[in-house]
Amino acid sequence: MTTQQAPRRQPLTINISEKAAHHVRKFAEQAGKPDITLRVGVKGGGCSGLTYVLDLVDVPGENDKVIVEHGLKLCVDKKSYVFLAGTTLEYSDGLNGKGFEFHNPNAKTTCGCGTSFSV
Amino acid sequence: MATQTQTSSLAVAKEYEALTHDVALIDRSHIGRLKFSGNDALDLLNRLSTNHLADMEVGHALPTVLTSNKGRIVDVLLVLRQADHLLAFTSPETRKAVAEYIDFYTFSEDVSVEDVTDETSMLGVSGPKAEEWANKHTVNLEASVKVVRSDFLHMPGYDIVAPIAQRASLYKQLQTTGATPVNADTVEAVRIERGVPIYGHELGEDYNPLEAGLKHFISFSKGCYVGQEVVARLDTYKKVQRRLVSLKWNADAIVATGSELILDGDAVGTLTSSARLPSGEGVGLGYVKRSVPENSEVAISAQGKIFEAKLIEITPKD
Repeated sequence: MTTQQAPRRQPLTINISEKAAHHVRKFAEQAGKPDITLRVGVKGGGCSGLTYVLDLVDVPGENDKVIVEHGLKLCVDKKSYVFLAGTTLEYSDGLNGKGFEFHNPNAKTTCGCGTSFSV
Repeated sequence: MATQTQTSSLAVAKEYEALTHDVALIDRSHIGRLKFSGNDALDLLNRLSTNHLADMEVGHALPTVLTSNKGRIVDVLLVLRQADHLLAFTSPETRKAVAEYIDFYTFSEDVSVEDVTDETSMLGVSGPKAEEWANKHTVNLEASVKVVRSDFLHMPGYDIVAPIAQRASLYKQLQTTGATPVNADTVEAVRIERGVPIYGHELGEDYNPLEAGLKHFISFSKGCYVGQEVVARLDTYKKVQRRLVSLKWNADAIVATGSELILDGDAVGTLTSSARLPSGEGVGLGYVKRSVPENSEVAISAQGKIFEAKLIEITPKD
């Protein structure tokens, strides 16, 4: 007899789509730093209270959580991680404009311009 | 021989006279005082609150409103910029909540918040002649003492923050300059008469800054702050539903706060503060619906009586 096991849930992490990773690498190469790390984070401010932060840094911070996906290294500080766990970073080049988009399951509300959120 | 009641009412009248026509000395040590240190403190407060603080010069103070992401009032702060830190005055009840609010929104910034309320005292000098008083008298202050022009009763007013050990000597020194000591009841009556909102009565999460008459504490050009989208929408589309007003009634009575304000048989608002004046009149503050005509007469049903009150519009101080 075989028993079916429920699929194991992936631990909450921060994901980056292949397309978004491609665009980050492109920026990094243009900056002459192909081995750069993408810092993903949150800061206070914006209409909804919490604003997304994206930055290119040489090395992750000592206490950062580091994630590698599609060959790109991402780092996030511990407090930001609480608000970002489960988030996927996408890149959109649709009719509404080009740019990175955060798909954050923790966000209860998002402001009109999409750059800030509340939990 | 004067009775105790007569003496007491004479003293109250004297205090009221000093605060409304001359200069008064008030112990305001119950006001919260939070010290913000770190290179990012001003930027963080600018990002989180309504006023444009970023260009504030050292030695200057600006009022600003902390709002929730729904545009409701968390507290109204007066922020004093010092050379290496900021001192923010909070409402008495909110110092812990404000510190927690700041902590929640602090991520990688270089900011630390210290509650210095209990280790300092705060004396206020207020009255129509306070500016004249400040120009005329030299008070011997140590370097650790900070003086801020706060106009906390919407008239010339200074707050003097000093280490707690210096409170008694500073109080005596200020008394010798002719500032009349006044007690909390007199300050409360004048606050209400002058239309100054406070936390727990007219300010709090039930209200937004526009209906509380705090538009002059909001920058509409500096960009985002917490709650900005909601506040801007309310202002742009004229969606503010009520306004803060003063009330006066011809009866020597404090009317229970929370009482309904009635116009032509309909409840149109709520009384939020109430006090008696030495003149024998009563004064109050309250919120009324936007549709209520200016300077209307309303009825307040309270304590088994009907009080006829006149609305007085509050003009925000620019």
